[in-house]
Amino acid sequence: MMRVLTAGEVISRMKARLGIPWRDNTYRDTFKFGGPETEVRGIATAMFCTFDVVKRAAEAGYNMILPHEDTYWNDRDDISIVSSDPLYKTKVDFMREHNIVIFRVHDHMHSQRPDFLYVGLARALGLDSKYETAPESHRFIIPETTLGALASDFQKRIGGRTVRVVGNPNARVRRVLLGVGYATPAINNTDVDVVVSGEQQETDGALDSPEYVLDAVALGITKGWIMLGHAISEEQGMLEMAQWVKSFIPEVPVELIRSGDPFWAPK
Amino acid sequence: MKTFSRRDFVTLATAAPFGVPAILQSRATLTAQEIVERIKQKIGTEWKTDGVDTFKAGDPATPVKGIATTAMATLDVLKQAVKAGANLVITNEPTFYARADSAVPSGGRRGVAAGPDAVFTAKSDFIKNNRLVVWRLSDHWRQRTPDPLSVGLADALRWSKLRAAEDSRLVAIPPATLEMLASDIKKKLNSRGGIRVIGDPKLSVAKVGLLPGTTPVQTALALFPLVDVIIAGEVREWETVELARDRVTAGERKSLMLIGRVVSENPGMNECAKWLKGFVPEVRTTWIPVEDPYWRPA
Repeated sequence: MMRVLTAGEVISRMKARLGIPWRDNTYRDTFKFGGPETEVRGIATAMFCTFDVVKRAAEAGYNMILPHEDTYWNDRDDISIVSSDPLYKTKVDFMREHNIVIFRVHDHMHSQRPDFLYVGLARALGLDSKYETAPESHRFIIPETTLGALASDFQKRIGGRTVRVVGNPNARVRRVLLGVGYATPAINNTDVDVVVSGEQQETDGALDSPEYVLDAVALGITKGWIMLGHAISEEQGMLEMAQWVKSFIPEVPVELIRSGDPFWAPK
Repeated sequence: MKTFSRRDFVTLATAAPFGVPAILQSRATLTAQEIVERIKQKIGTEWKTDGVDTFKAGDPATPVKGIATTAMATLDVLKQAVKAGANLVITNEPTFYARADSAVPSGGRRGVAAGPDAVFTAKSDFIKNNRLVVWRLSDHWRQRTPDPLSVGLADALRWSKLRAAEDSRLVAIPPATLEMLASDIKKKLNSRGGIRVIGDPKLSVAKVGLLPGTTPVQTALALFPLVDVIIAGEVREWETVELARDRVTAGERKSLMLIGRVVSENPGMNECAKWLKGFVPEVRTTWIPVEDPYWRPA
């Protein structure tokens, strides 16, 4: 009879293949539910560990989830913030009944080379590596287009429903800097026309892109800012993550479970 | 020669600054610093000096000809202020694209070197050339009770009479579907593409919670049990967005509508203009809304 695959075994094989040392001081990349002893019947990678993702994983017979982001609606997955809300109990009860085990893969994914989140987003947006100015630079020089056409193309390719853009739709652009999630690059880089990313604080941060772009446009300086949404910007790379995990976990199925764009936009 | 109709005369007589007594109009010595001191007296909360509510540009000793309030002092807003005859701009959000509000970017901003930047410099020059003074009012403004940002937002949505007496964030509206409400709000706030919604479009909503500005998940966790929909400016997507999505999955009849941080703060600075008129009668105060920065691709 085949040896039982445990969650701990999955994580130790992952650590051995990362190519970088494991940092035990991470509060992110830890078990969020269940533990190393849990027997694994199938693995789902996911962007956010939403209740919907957990349910669909359980339906598919996958009981180990490797999400990139949090499970309990705060980055530290601090239970004390949420445990008095009945929704917390509902979600946790479901996970217990279905013998779910959750291990977050965030910090080490961003430290790993290549960073799958960037690889996946560039693939999904059609930003071919032949356009990247240097490996891992995330800066692409593409055939000239307009900000409006570029944003439309990205939205279609990624299946976004609420992509938001700041800038002049008719501006001619070709130098694109890619960010993922909340890691939005600075828009005031003089070598860049357009920054693409997931999410950013709108104002009062380290560099407030919306205001900077509005003022640049008022001055006739070409700048554009395309925000895809945090979820869909990083969900793409969880496909690369699933493929990588599959390469060293042959015993059980491994699959990305998508949660998609959480939003819709009014007419 | 143009003759004034009675109607013209009434308009002229009531419009500021003509409505201001001549003796006050001619007294051009009210400085930006003096106006700020009056604000500190009237704010109704202890003035703290360790926050962001400070002068960001210009000389505080400048005699003030007019005041403009705004959610965010963009270059477009500054130009409108000049046109309106205002030289003191009171802004709720930063002027120089960061909390630090420095006219020259500091280093370490995701790899961008410190040093002069064309956009920062042009804005700084515009402020100098037009002898503007920019002062930020943010921390203390949102500490007032009732919260002027939610009062203003309710007013902009024509819900002033529907607000709960005990909590300015709570509004009871005639039931509407979530999608009808979202479209209505989009029109009323002149939103272009910044509104994003989570929840069943056909959900009937009547109990509304207003969270203008930016709010952490703790605020949403406390508010959700009281309302059908939270209308917020900005939340973190790994917090309240996923919380709302999970509520929907769990079958709760809840929803979340994000309208954008600056757009959500616009009406609160209209409240600020009205408030200033009460104790700065010497000069005209004008509210200048910021356009929705966002559009959506075709």
